[in-house]
Amino acid sequence: MKGNGITMTLRPRLLALFVPILLVGCSVSPSPTRTSGPTPTLATTPTAAPSVAAPYPVTLTDDAGRSVTLVAAPQRIVSLAPSNTEIVCALGACADLVGVTDFDDYPPEVADVDRVVVGAQVDVEKVVAADPDLVIAAGNELTPSAVIGQLSGLDLPVLVLYPETLDEIYADIELVGAALDVTAAADELTALMQARVAAVEARLTGAERPRTFYEVGIFAGTIYTAGQGSFLASLLETAGAEPVTGDAVSTSIQLEDLVVADPQLILLGDAAYDGSITPESVADRQGWAGIGAVRDGRVVVFEEDLVVTRPGPRIVDGLEALARAIHPELFD
Amino acid sequence: MRAAATTPTAVRPLLGTPSLTRAALVIGGGLALLVVVVVLAVALGSVQVGLGDTTAILGRRLLGLPLPVTWTPVTETIIVDLRLPRVLTAMLVGGGLAMAGTVFQALLRNPLADPYIIGTAAGASLGAVSGIVLPLLVPALAIGAGSTWLGIGIVQLLAFVGGLGTVLLVYAVARSAGRVQVVTLLLTGYAVSAVLAAVVAMLMFVSGRALGAIFGWLMGSLADASWPELAFAAPLLVVSFAALLVRWRRLNLLLLGDAAAASLGLEVEREKLVLTVLATLATSAAVAISGTIGFVGLVVPHLLRLAIGPDHRLLLPASLLLGASLLALADLGARLLGGIPVGIVTALIGAPFFLWLLRRSRTVVPVPS
Repeated sequence: MKGNGITMTLRPRLLALFVPILLVGCSVSPSPTRTSGPTPTLATTPTAAPSVAAPYPVTLTDDAGRSVTLVAAPQRIVSLAPSNTEIVCALGACADLVGVTDFDDYPPEVADVDRVVVGAQVDVEKVVAADPDLVIAAGNELTPSAVIGQLSGLDLPVLVLYPETLDEIYADIELVGAALDVTAAADELTALMQARVAAVEARLTGAERPRTFYEVGIFAGTIYTAGQGSFLASLLETAGAEPVTGDAVSTSIQLEDLVVADPQLILLGDAAYDGSITPESVADRQGWAGIGAVRDGRVVVFEEDLVVTRPGPRIVDGLEALARAIHPELFD
Repeated sequence: MRAAATTPTAVRPLLGTPSLTRAALVIGGGLALLVVVVVLAVALGSVQVGLGDTTAILGRRLLGLPLPVTWTPVTETIIVDLRLPRVLTAMLVGGGLAMAGTVFQALLRNPLADPYIIGTAAGASLGAVSGIVLPLLVPALAIGAGSTWLGIGIVQLLAFVGGLGTVLLVYAVARSAGRVQVVTLLLTGYAVSAVLAAVVAMLMFVSGRALGAIFGWLMGSLADASWPELAFAAPLLVVSFAALLVRWRRLNLLLLGDAAAASLGLEVEREKLVLTVLATLATSAAVAISGTIGFVGLVVPHLLRLAIGPDHRLLLPASLLLGASLLALADLGARLLGGIPVGIVTALIGAPFFLWLLRRSRTVVPVPS
């Protein structure tokens, strides 16, 4: 379980951290004005107005810049990424899911939904057999572009989501809301998320920012962390840290650079999957004993790793957990 | 050329003449196997479809039989748009690789020869990997990345051009005083391949998130098979099949060695070039739509030489048929194993089988020279 858990969960996540991608921001096209819902504290992309008349057919622009037309409200949804699944379920459409991935573990209702992505491979036959009227894929090759092309070629509407910031997550929730004609629910959800983020930020006002190293994993001696400019790095900043980042493309950092950066706090994200990684084992590592965080005993197991790396509604849980781990004194 | 039209008597004892029944048996058997494999490979997959429905859908769509529809449109999509193009692609690619392997083994009089030996694989890989990586490195190219030329993607097109272009380059470099020595050709192919492989490795190193896609391509995969890709490759493959099949007599003569073949009236240098271009055309078209799938082009010719002898009159069509069936079966295995690259299956089964064949035959007939 231990070993498996690590490779299974880390592989796609590492991929997600590779190379910040050049995707266009998303937009929802029917109507650019927000007519209801609380005022957001952060700027978001314009969202569709909830309309009384049936909004279909609706044409949406996804995160890959593709135009997707839905002729009727989707009744059979296939999700090709756990974050997509969580968005669909948070908007109350969990019962409409007819296909998910074998990484899907939240919410519990999805346990019984057919798995159409097995071992990180999209089984196109199973997707087609599920007879979906909406497929929600992931960008940045998490869903291979060949698969997206193959499914679109069979006239299946494929919506590609690839959020890279909190704002883009809100926009993607609004986008799915527009696709499912539940824009009011989407407005409500994003407003709630924004309010929680604002609360975290308010509490952190004026707090000092400890240099924080987030350990994503160590494979074959290579240390992986938040890449420079990555989503994880920006999340750490929002959570009140000054992240010690790795290379933007490989997301790795050399041990020498880590020692020089001398983090004041080390968060062990990989310890959530591997019980053998503990503050004690970190202190025993060759060359780590001189790092400030290790000397001061500020090496912390971070159990909520999954929610900081899954760009869905629970990202705010991840942010709150990060803030709590970085500034325990402010959150007790 | 004229003299080559009739096989000289001196050659007959070496090659023998296939009897009509023997030929009918081999070709008929190969065709029968092919039909069984088509139905089997289309009927099986990760989604269960009954054999009755499968044959009925194939009968309706391929033969136009007026059969009653007892299945859902979804089932028909899976059979006709997902599995059928994939199985047909596997067959064309497998047949093309096996036949090109047969030709290269005879042409180079080398039992280790496979369709990729003089640079096709390295050139096609560089083409495909460039097509995958360059749009990532130079964002301006990404705009065109999703578009298609001649119905196929830029990756397939560059793979095809890369494979064909590399072999022509190798051939030109290896040529001296109007002649191409077999050994020089092999070594030139090796050296050029090494250079291209280094460039491929460098591109992989900087590829970041595209590494998975590159790896899948290099292992060989038929997962992206589609009707448009098939429509691009099929004519190229079929034309080269036909042109190679009618050259069986010249291939037989080449087995005797350049000098002997020339003394029997064959324009050896010209014929070697024509055969190289045709076999490379088939290989490049196959590789373009499937990636570099190994072992089919090496093992099938050897297996058949042991079974039916070295006469290319029978060997060429038989390698076409057997290569087609074997790769379709290997791809079925790859699909049933959860969609692993088919190159893994052909290597896992092909290499040990090849070893067994070697031990069993001892004499290693492979290529008479």
